[in-house]
Amino acid sequence: MDKKLKETILNPILKGNPITVLVLGICSALAVTVQLKGALVMALSVIAVTGLSSLVCSLLRNTIPNRVRIIVQLVVVAMMVILVDQILKAGEGTYAIDKQLSVYIGLIITNCIVMGRIEAFALGNKPIPSLLDGIANGLGYGLILVVVAFFRELLGSGTLFGFQVLPSGYVPNNLVILPPFALILLGCIIWVHRAIDKDLQEN
Amino acid sequence: MNTNNNVYTVIYTAVIVVVVAALLAFVSGKLGPAQDANAKAETLRQMMSAAGVKPTEELYAARNAEVLQLYADNIREAYTIGLDGQKNGELSVSKDKIELISKLKPQHKAILAGGDVTLPVYIFNSGIAVIPIYGAGLWGPVWGYIAFQPDCHTIAGAFFDHESETPGLGAKIKDEPWFREKFSGKTVEWGDTPAFRLEKHAEATGATNAVDAITGATMTSKGLNEALNVWFKAYEKHFGSGAFFSMLGEHADSETINTEEE
Amino acid sequence: MEYISLFVKSIFVDNMIFAYFLGMCSYLAVSKNVKTANGLGLAVIFVLLCTLPLNWLLNTFVLQPGALKWLGPKFAEVDLSFLSFIIFIAVIAAFVQLVEMIVEKFLPSLYSSLGIYLPLIAVNCAILGGSLFMQQRDFTGIGEPLVYALGSGIGWYLAIVALAAIREKMSYCNVPKPLKGIGITFITVGLMGMAFMIFMGIQL
Repeated sequence: MDKKLKETILNPILKGNPITVLVLGICSALAVTVQLKGALVMALSVIAVTGLSSLVCSLLRNTIPNRVRIIVQLVVVAMMVILVDQILKAGEGTYAIDKQLSVYIGLIITNCIVMGRIEAFALGNKPIPSLLDGIANGLGYGLILVVVAFFRELLGSGTLFGFQVLPSGYVPNNLVILPPFALILLGCIIWVHRAIDKDLQEN
Repeated sequence: MNTNNNVYTVIYTAVIVVVVAALLAFVSGKLGPAQDANAKAETLRQMMSAAGVKPTEELYAARNAEVLQLYADNIREAYTIGLDGQKNGELSVSKDKIELISKLKPQHKAILAGGDVTLPVYIFNSGIAVIPIYGAGLWGPVWGYIAFQPDCHTIAGAFFDHESETPGLGAKIKDEPWFREKFSGKTVEWGDTPAFRLEKHAEATGATNAVDAITGATMTSKGLNEALNVWFKAYEKHFGSGAFFSMLGEHADSETINTEEE
Repeated sequence: MEYISLFVKSIFVDNMIFAYFLGMCSYLAVSKNVKTANGLGLAVIFVLLCTLPLNWLLNTFVLQPGALKWLGPKFAEVDLSFLSFIIFIAVIAAFVQLVEMIVEKFLPSLYSSLGIYLPLIAVNCAILGGSLFMQQRDFTGIGEPLVYALGSGIGWYLAIVALAAIREKMSYCNVPKPLKGIGITFITVGLMGMAFMIFMGIQL
């Protein structure tokens, strides 16, 4: 059981990473990676939403009528997202970040990772493993988000978390900040990931 | 239990929806005041940054309660005007019930349509008057606050914000202090068209009502230029043709009386 | 004139894929060949065109602060905007389900070509994203959301068909092994996005 639990947690972060391997949840992943701070808040929000909705759906799993399964899941996920959004808006320190993330917080609802984990794991497993599975998948997602944001903020603004890191003579590369570069960077991350882990290569 | 039964399905869905809606209504009701306070404090920070009450970084480091206190300490009065330049409402400035016109979009639409507007003017103790501006940038709205010296002709300071301009390009209107600092000391030529120029090479002409557009952010600068001029036009009758000074006259009188009493 | 500007802008400048990365999951998964890409693209246009105006009506007359004024002055203060995420997604999911059932029953041939994509669309970020942008932009009148929906739908359609065409050709290319498949697809989309950036700043 312990080994299985460990597998549940580690797999989504490395071998079964939702972004680089399963290619889920890209939608909101790229737009919020211009600055590390926003990416971090987004990652934490996704972790909270995947974890809690997996937990709730797992608790309800034996009572959900099969025909309205998807709708019930959507309602639970949407509820969690609204809660996260409301809490971010109400916090004094997080208000500005919520404004910066704008519609992308709402789009966590349609982040395929959340629904995907509920369908694939939470509906067939006990609440605690489901919670961990949700959190681990959120972590795997957040990891990629933070890596992409790290490079984009470093090269695009010369800063990290808003603090100047590169010498002031560095001319920020504006291309890095624009949307297309996020895709290219993600392509490169996948390249590195698959060069290291040969099992993942496609034929 | 048969969970595929029709009645069960309907009841189940209804119960879930009611429970979720009730929970969300409860949370939203609980958090609503805190959210409003955040929005209000944000507007106040931007206004006071433009008015030069305190440096921008200090305002952004201050907590909401401190920001409210600072505003209450520094504001003299706030009122709204119509397009005819006449006062058409008062805004409370007492600390417990600070009133703001923070939704600028409906006002912007009303200005363009030439309809009924309630455009705010905030007068600080230093005699500086602050007005908002609002318009469309490249990706979404841009807005800001312009502070005038007591002569209502010279700009004392400015603050600009945006919703989703490109970071590193259009977002410079907020992120780069040098841009807003360029506005201090410039003038607004009430009655001229345009009253202010935010254009490429505008500073080279030597005009006092001109600031250079940001290189690489043409569309954002263009949007901001339009926002400035549309709103300046709306305030023109108030600041440009004496309505403001006649009101100020009343004030000067009342102040003299006060000093005499002391 | 405003409509044309909004239309062109939503296709090229505010492109759902290249500017906002919306609907990426199905965009990458279903762009292996042009035929299926075509089907999904058309389905997205259709669903956007129906749900966006519907959500606009809901937002204007039920959700936004003061929207319930028509019920009487007592309701003028009610602000239901905190429910908007859940209402929007419910409308989209219900609509997709409904269309699926109708198409399956009355147009079996269309169902066999389009039907398999419909369930995918309920969780396509481009659809919910369209509604959220609509809410953020405060469109006036039903015309603007309609034009916006059509424009962004066509933008998405163009993007997926173009990518599918490139991927079909690319299957003959000699791509480094670790980059094969999804890696090179990301880079291709990035380059296409750069090409689309030339439209930035156009105004009609």
